[in-house]
Formats: sequence, structure tokens, C-alpha cells
Amino acid sequence: MSIKSLLGRYGFLFIIAGFILFFASFNPVFLQGGNLMNIVAGSAILLIVALGMTLIVATGGIDLSVGIALDFGAAFAVVAMKEYGINWYGAALIGIGGGSIVGLLNAFLTVGLNISPFLATLGTFFIGSSVQRIFTNGGGPISYRGMPQEFRDLAVGEVYGIPTEIVIAGVICLIYFIVLERSIIGRRIHAIGMQRSAAIVAGLKVNKYLIWSFVAASMTVAVGGLIAAANIRMFTPLSGFSYLLDAIAAVFIGAALHPRGRPNVLGTLVAVLFLGIVTNGLNLMGLNFNVKGAMSGIILVSALALAVAQSKQR
Amino acid sequence: MSKAKNFLTLSRIIDAAPLVIFLGMLIYIGFNAPNFMKFSTMQLVLNQSVPVVVVCLGLSIVVMAGGDGVLSGGIDLSIPATAVLSAGIIAQQLAQADAPLWLAIVLAFAAAAIVGLINGLMVTRIGMTPLLTSLATFVAVVGVSKLVTSSRRINVDDPFIVFLRDGNIFGISAGVFITLILVLMFYFLIHRTKWGINMQAVGGSRDAAEMSGINPSYYQMWAFVLAALTGFLASFFILARGSGSSPGTEDNLMLEMVLATFLGAAFSPRRVVTLWGAVLGAVLVAALSIGFKTMGVNVFWTGLIKGSLILVVVALGALSVKVKA
Repeated sequence: MSIKSLLGRYGFLFIIAGFILFFASFNPVFLQGGNLMNIVAGSAILLIVALGMTLIVATGGIDLSVGIALDFGAAFAVVAMKEYGINWYGAALIGIGGGSIVGLLNAFLTVGLNISPFLATLGTFFIGSSVQRIFTNGGGPISYRGMPQEFRDLAVGEVYGIPTEIVIAGVICLIYFIVLERSIIGRRIHAIGMQRSAAIVAGLKVNKYLIWSFVAASMTVAVGGLIAAANIRMFTPLSGFSYLLDAIAAVFIGAALHPRGRPNVLGTLVAVLFLGIVTNGLNLMGLNFNVKGAMSGIILVSALALAVAQSKQR
Repeated sequence: MSKAKNFLTLSRIIDAAPLVIFLGMLIYIGFNAPNFMKFSTMQLVLNQSVPVVVVCLGLSIVVMAGGDGVLSGGIDLSIPATAVLSAGIIAQQLAQADAPLWLAIVLAFAAAAIVGLINGLMVTRIGMTPLLTSLATFVAVVGVSKLVTSSRRINVDDPFIVFLRDGNIFGISAGVFITLILVLMFYFLIHRTKWGINMQAVGGSRDAAEMSGINPSYYQMWAFVLAALTGFLASFFILARGSGSSPGTEDNLMLEMVLATFLGAAFSPRRVVTLWGAVLGAVLVAALSIGFKTMGVNVFWTGLIKGSLILVVVALGALSVKVKA
């Protein structure tokens, strides 16, 4: 194996290792077990959102409305518990159902009306943001301090000593890996994303797959909304937007790590952890808030550029 | 069949529908908000639309040079962030560093040019898709501009900026007049020079352009730099409109830019992004926003209405392609 092909294959892992060393040399706390657990736990929601995005990008689209699905998941669950006194798992299911509305709308727009995913989901984003403003009378949070402990445990509980959010994200990640990378369904989804017309000719029910992908992705992202709501015991309108760019970046960094440049579950996982490491490391350096924002933006651009440049080396 | 009979075919009705819907809404607003049809309101609409119009020029150029597909073709979402960065630099230099206007302008110009070069290099040298590139630079540039302004609002009362806000040239407000000249300059560049025609050829078919001896990367590179410079130009109007720079302007500007440019594509007969379409789109979006305000529509609803509008218009565009096929 020549150095060039080695760099082409694992170059990005070297970059991650470099960042870990850099942050560790700045602050030894970075490498302690508790902090590493913080990084993983802090990445759970982003991982869930990015997995939904991975599915949509694998079909050849993009979803700018993931934030809305996240908000809807949180809003439906919190309102179900607070206003209607529904028990915690009922509320969780209602939240996931609320998220699926976003996916159904996207599916209707892209498959039914033939609008390109970028513009369709941008429209969904506009509409979804506006609906939240109308519903909350301008964007005030809906807080529910007295939410059932079981629901709150989605974010702060532990399963055999592992934080619940990590367990949930891990299970979803495993399901996505099996379905998208190891099953005939995933093979077909990738086929649709690579060459839609060929997939149609081959007899795949492309529309059926696209509709289900949008619905499944939005339901997945809504789970992230449940965790976010459980964590701060309230629904904050329009908070999902902050995950959008990181999720897109994670999917495309992950795709660049794949031998054939396809969006894939493992790549997304690695990229999400990388973003988590950078956020956590910059926090531990104790930088000024504005400096931190500028740094993480520049690191994001450089990481994307390096990941894509690396994939072209092969 | 005679020609007259063919005049009202299905495809023609669908073709005209986006513009008819828009004009219909404006007329509806005109009837329900008595002040809307006044000259002063029209002037307000034009004044408000100026920054969006200028960034739309940049986005149109990038789309023309890169092709129409949003995912794989040309798009530059970072222009509004560049505009806000440039506005932040000018405001910070004038108000806090007491620099002369020319120095502030030079610094802002340099910053914008660097953003454009980075976009262009990442797309042409590394081969990243423009959507991904410009999303990433959007985040980075917003981060840097917050660093420049410390995320604070900075007031600017420089006579030049005040002139852009309040001044008049030949009876038209200065901002609108200058923007009109800019639009004409860009029109000339794209449609009346060899350079512009070559650039459009690259966007039309990259392979065909390359075979006829045009270097596509060169034109794509320049498109990104020009786009970033429209961000620089827009920053003056942002400063004038807000009497200074304030953080967070970029999100709304980005959404309006994309909305206006792709609405413009829906207005054009071939459903492609055009300069005039984008300008018309920007003015109509501003007219609707202000129209809803004068009608007393709750602000929370405007996003819903705008989002539905873009979907209806774009769906009609997709439908017309289908009907013609």
C-alpha cells in the first residue's frame, strides 16, 4: 500500500486523531472517561438527525426540513402530556406521529407534485416554522416541569449504566445500518439514489420507496425531538434548525469517507463523533463564545474540504 | 386547427399561472389595504427589495455558470453571509476603529473576494458540490462576522451610507437608482459580452463547452468570485436599510434570495434561472411582505404564506415541464 492510497483511505481518521491529540494536550480532562461519555451523549441527538438525513441523501435528495420534524416531535409529545394528560409512551408515539406529518408533506410535494427535494423541503421549512410561531403565539417555549419521570429518563436516565440517549441513538444507528447497508431494501434505496431512471427501468417501485424514506426519516428525527424535550423539560419552537447544517455536513463528510463516495451509516457515525469532539474540545479550551463560533465554522469547512479531497485521491 | 384556437392551451395557462397568481395577490392586497397602491408604498417596496435584488444577481450568475440542478449544479448560499460579514467589517471599522471610509471598503472588499475564492477553489479544484461548499462557508463566514462585530449591533452614520438611505438621484431614491445601474451592468456582462455567453454555455452543457475549447473551471471560479462581490455590494444597502449592521440578518436574506431567484425561474418561459426573473422575484416578494403588513396580516403567518407560494409556483413549473413533454 503506497502512502498516497493509505492517505486516501484513512486520511480523515488521522485528522481526527490529530484533533484528539491537540485537545488532549490543551486540557488533560478531554481524555478522561467522563468527558468521552459527554462527547458521545452530546452527539446522540445530532446522530439521530444525521441518520434521517443519510437516508434522504441516499435516495438522491436532501431534507432541509429536519429541524421542523424535530420540533414537531418535541411539541406533539409535550402538548400530549401537558394538555391531555397522556402517559409517557403514548406521548412519545404521538410525538413520532407528529414528526411523520413533516415527512408526509415532503413526500407529497416531491413525489406527488414532482418538486425538487431542495425546494420542496425549503417550503416545508417555511411552513413548519410559521406553524410553530402561530401555535406558540410568536415562539414562546412550552414548558412542562411536571413531566413523567419515565419521559424525562429518555434524556437523563440510564440503562445498565449507559445514558439512555446513547442507547436510543445506538439502537437507531444499528437499525439504520442493517436496513440501509445490509438489506435488499437498502440496496434498492441506494440504487434509486445513484440512478433513478435505471431503478425505474429495473422495475423498482421508486415512488413507494421515496415516500417511505421521507416518512421514516422524519419519524427518526422526531425521536431526537423527544430526547431534546425530555432534556430541558420543555418544547422550544424553531430549535431544530440548529441541527440542520451539522447534519448535512456529517452526511457528506461520511459520504466522502466511503470508497465509492456514497452516504452511509458508519461514515455518518464517524463524522458526527468528529463534530462532537471538535465542539467539546473547543468548549474545554475555554474560548470566547464568538471565537469558538468562528473556529468551529472554519474547522467544518476545512474538514469537509479535506474529506472530499481525500476521497478524490483514490 | 387555427392558431387562435391554440392560444389557450393547457400548457400556456400553466405557463402564465405563476405570474397571474402573484399579480392576483397584489391586486387583492391593493383592494384590501387602501394605502398599498400609493406611490410612497411602491417606493418603500423597491427600497426594501434592494439588498435582495443585489444578492440575487450573484446567485443567478452562479446558477447560470453551474447549471440548474440544485443538488449538483451551481448554487451559492453563502452570499448573504458574505454580505453580513462585509457589512460588519465596514461598520466595525467606521464606528469602532475610526478608520476612513475607503479603508473600511477595501477591507470588506478583500474579505468578500477571499470568500469567493475559497468557494471557487473548493468547487473547481477539490470537486465539492456547490451546495455543500456554500452551506459550509455560510456557517464559517457567519462565525467570522460574529467575531468581527462581537455579535453586537453597530450603528453607522457615515454620510455615504446615509445618502444611500435617504438620498435621491434624478428623483429616484439613491439605493434604487444604483441598484438599477448594477442590474443593467450585470445584464450587459452576461448577455452582451463574449465572456458572459461563454459562461452561460458552461452552465448549459459543461461537456459541450469544454469540447468547444472553453475552460469551465475558469468561468465557474469567476462566477463564485462575482457572487461574493455582489455580497460586498449588498452590504452597503444592508447598512443603509438598517442604519448599521446587526447580527442575524443573514438567515432571512438567504431564504429571500433563494425564494426570489427560484420564483424568477418559475416566471421564465423555459423555467430556468434568469437575471430579470430573479430581480422581478425579489421585488414581488418584497411587495407581498409589505402588502401583508399594510393589510394587517399577523407576522407569524407570512412564513406560511410565502412557503405555500413558493411551493405552488414551483409545482406549476414542474407541471408545465410535464405537460410540454
